[in-house]
Amino acid sequence: MRLTITRQNLQRGLAAVSASIPGKTTLPVLSNVLIESEDNSVWISGTDLDVSIRVRVPAEVTQGGAITAPGRKLLALTRELPDQPVELRGRGHQLEIGCGNSRIKLNGLPSEEFPNVPAMDFEEGWSVSEASLRQVIRGTAFAVSTEESRPILNGVYWEIGDRMTMVATNGHRLAKMEVAAVGTGGAAGASGAFIVPPAALAQVERLFDGDGEIEVGRGGNHLGFRSTNQEVYTRLIEGSYPNYEQVIPKDNDKVARVDKEAMEAAVRRMAVLASDQTHRIRMSFEPDRVHLDVMTPDLGEAHDELELDYEGEALRIGFNANYLIEVLRNMPAGDVKVAFKTAERAATVVPAESELDYLCLVMPLRLVD
Amino acid sequence: MKTQPDAPRPRIRVLPDHVANQIAAGEVVERPASVVKELVENALDAGASAVRVSIEQGGKGRIRVADDGCGMIREDLLVCLDRHATSKIRRAEDLRDIHTLGFRGEALPSIAAVSRMVIDTAPSNQATGSRLRVLAGRMQGVDDAPRRPGTTVDVRNLFLNTPVRARFLRAAGVETRAVSEVLHALALANLDTRFVFESNGRTVFDLAAGRELAARIGAIWKDADAAVLIPVATQRGGTRLFGVVQRPDRARPGFRRAHLFVNGRPFRDAGVLAAADRGYRTTVPDNTRPWLFLFLTVPGGQVDVNVHPGKAEVRFRQRGRIEDFVESSVRETLDGIESAATWGEPRPLHVVREGEGAGQGAKVAGDPGAASDEDADDDIAQINIFRARAAQAEDAAASEEVYMPRAPRPALLQIHNSFILAETRDGIIILDQHAAHERILYEEMLAGFEGAGSEGQRLLFPFTIRLTKPELEIVESVSETLARLGFELAPFGHEALLVQAVPSPHRYFDAEQCIREMVQELLHGSDLTRSANNQNERVAMSFACKGAIKAGQKLAQEEMHELFDQLFATELPYHDIHGRPTVVRLGLGELRRKFGRS
Ligand SMILES: Nc1ncnc2c1ncn2[C@@H]1O[C@H](COP(=O)(O)OP(=O)(O)OP(=O)(O)O)[C@@H](O)[C@H]1O
Ligand SMILES: [Mg+2]
Repeated sequence: MRLTITRQNLQRGLAAVSASIPGKTTLPVLSNVLIESEDNSVWISGTDLDVSIRVRVPAEVTQGGAITAPGRKLLALTRELPDQPVELRGRGHQLEIGCGNSRIKLNGLPSEEFPNVPAMDFEEGWSVSEASLRQVIRGTAFAVSTEESRPILNGVYWEIGDRMTMVATNGHRLAKMEVAAVGTGGAAGASGAFIVPPAALAQVERLFDGDGEIEVGRGGNHLGFRSTNQEVYTRLIEGSYPNYEQVIPKDNDKVARVDKEAMEAAVRRMAVLASDQTHRIRMSFEPDRVHLDVMTPDLGEAHDELELDYEGEALRIGFNANYLIEVLRNMPAGDVKVAFKTAERAATVVPAESELDYLCLVMPLRLVD
Repeated sequence: MKTQPDAPRPRIRVLPDHVANQIAAGEVVERPASVVKELVENALDAGASAVRVSIEQGGKGRIRVADDGCGMIREDLLVCLDRHATSKIRRAEDLRDIHTLGFRGEALPSIAAVSRMVIDTAPSNQATGSRLRVLAGRMQGVDDAPRRPGTTVDVRNLFLNTPVRARFLRAAGVETRAVSEVLHALALANLDTRFVFESNGRTVFDLAAGRELAARIGAIWKDADAAVLIPVATQRGGTRLFGVVQRPDRARPGFRRAHLFVNGRPFRDAGVLAAADRGYRTTVPDNTRPWLFLFLTVPGGQVDVNVHPGKAEVRFRQRGRIEDFVESSVRETLDGIESAATWGEPRPLHVVREGEGAGQGAKVAGDPGAASDEDADDDIAQINIFRARAAQAEDAAASEEVYMPRAPRPALLQIHNSFILAETRDGIIILDQHAAHERILYEEMLAGFEGAGSEGQRLLFPFTIRLTKPELEIVESVSETLARLGFELAPFGHEALLVQAVPSPHRYFDAEQCIREMVQELLHGSDLTRSANNQNERVAMSFACKGAIKAGQKLAQEEMHELFDQLFATELPYHDIHGRPTVVRLGLGELRRKFGRS
């Protein structure tokens, strides 16, 4: 392999894949990146076996081939090179780097040792817009569970068909967003449903930052996302996702309408005084007003009030303040509708003005007095 | 209390009958050790700065106690053997507020009655002294005898006229040990006095005067260094406690050394010892018996020493208050970093001396506001993990919003996803994440019990757990307590439990596993649950243990910082609930020593 590449392109490619290079690994080749030439470009790949990233950058290839080299070292080195064309040359398992007067040899490993990306069937797959995919990820992935006994809840549920829906929950609160899946239906509108690790979605959100289309394909237990110059592959979480539709209340008839910024600010103020363990705050809704209270033994107490539109019966309800803050933070600017049935049942939060089909749900705390 | 400067006029008077009759009566002299106790107490009352005790054959052959105290003039010497002859009290009212070890005027006559006694004594302002000889209570003569100021009492042939009692004496070795023990207690209470003890012509110990308590303990017992004692100094109203107690991680089951003193007088008291042990609860395993050396100072009138003929026991006017005070004092002591386990050699104990203790050094029980800031050794007592490096960063953090990433604090290092290492002002500490979180949860739950309980997080997906009949029964029996912890559980058919709300102690909490493990523990019992006092404690302990962050759980920086902050906000941050340390510290001094740099 022999090619010339600009320093900037090399750095961009390496930086894009570096997130998938594992910090510690028992498989030495995983700390390497794979460099493969293709026509007038080069693919750079990194993987931690769960998530793989491939990025293509332009290069002048004089001799085709592939090699692996230590990813972080190569990235660190690239940052230090002068802004001049970089010549990369594979000699056995060594990568020779020339740039200006600098000559560097990095010991690599045979490219055959680098894990193959899982085979994907993109023909039978879907096509979605980068922008809407980013939007659903941002609106939901925060709600995944960090507790490990139910791995399913550690993933984000993604349904794709005519529309696409993303859902995440930790069993205490849930976020769900649905958007039209622009360009969906590669294979006769077949629908699919996956449980995707949030780490992979974070990479998708980071890398696909334009406004083009992404092809999505499935291969066995893996899912692939690709555009012309970048690809992300991930292992899927196996199992069946709980029936979330069933737990979303449809009859929450006590509805408060409030500016989300104002509500978030008030909850944040209360949260400072909330207990470190339960983060408990209380809200009392009455016509056109909500009272927020927090009382933490040994620390102190706080009270706040907010005017809002509320016509339901008076209601006292307790929440983990952190859950409310997260949900409100993710709501689009403007008013939100917060709806309740009783103090024991799930509260729902939806945007009041926007067209966005977005719903968050927060389970209350059981009040003990 | 030391006696008045001696006056030329006689000081000893025989107590009138109505006073004498109020004095607890009984056998004063049981064995050589009781003779030694009485004679040394007299020497201490006489203001001795050195006391030399010599015995032969365990005291059965001979006991000699020599002091350099105020001595006696001839007139006093002649009456000191009369019953109820004393210079220490006059009136019945004096019995209520006794400042001397002796007050009955019983000791010398009782000893003299059963032995051959010679008293040599000279007051400090007179050139010559006197010698009095007595045989079985009968005065044999008084002569002039040159002597330096002070008194020597020589007792031979103990129980010469009461052969039955003589026969009950034990082997010389046993009696010698009993004498040693008496002397240990008196030596601990009188740090300014030198104590020399000789047996059959050999010096058993020679304790220099003017050393601090820890040094004297170390001089008496070779194993004291390894025992690792930490200072106690508290005050509540006019009552003070000072002394040393064993660091919890060093306490062992079985043998212990425990010495109690009130107003400078050794006493036995199972209730006060039990109170001190209660102060240790949850910081040591249940059967553990920490060493205790506790010196109470109570206002006059609060303690009655006139209840036991040998003065071995006392009666407190307000026993409950004293026990509470001892318990809370021990607990407060265990709340300081001094009580945390160390890595490597224990640091030498602080200087603690009675009198100094409560003044500048002491925490004041019952006044929590004053307690934290007034610590004598601010450097270590007030743990401030981050001040060393990050004073500014910390200030910045304080002004940040809680939900924003905090301003940088020094990085904490998680080791094997189980321990967290942090720099402190005087070295490093290593925290056991599970143990630390146990302590946090336990106190949180107990605090919740004081109020209405803790709020449970209601579940979006309620779940069921299959349990056996006995398991369901145990859940049923503690259901109220579980509800107050935040669990909402209901029977579901005959073999399952429906779970609708659970506490949410941390982000990695697995409610189902926690419930299963708690049920097992409550059903079969464990050392932990057996150490609980009541059902609330038992269930809270079990929950803290099963619900706390587990070893092996990777934590984010922010979470580690929270763990530190929350741990040091607890009452006993250095101890988990099984009686194990939450924190091990390694001081800079020790670190330097380990690298050969000191
Ligand atoms: N070592 C001594 N130095 C000076 N005076 C002494 C000494 N021993 C005894 N005395 C005097 O003799 C008195 C009688 O002593 P004794 O021990 O019999 O009674 P006490 O100490 O007054 O009371 P108790 O019986 O409670 O010990 C004392 O009150 C004290 O005045
Ligand atoms: Mg006496």
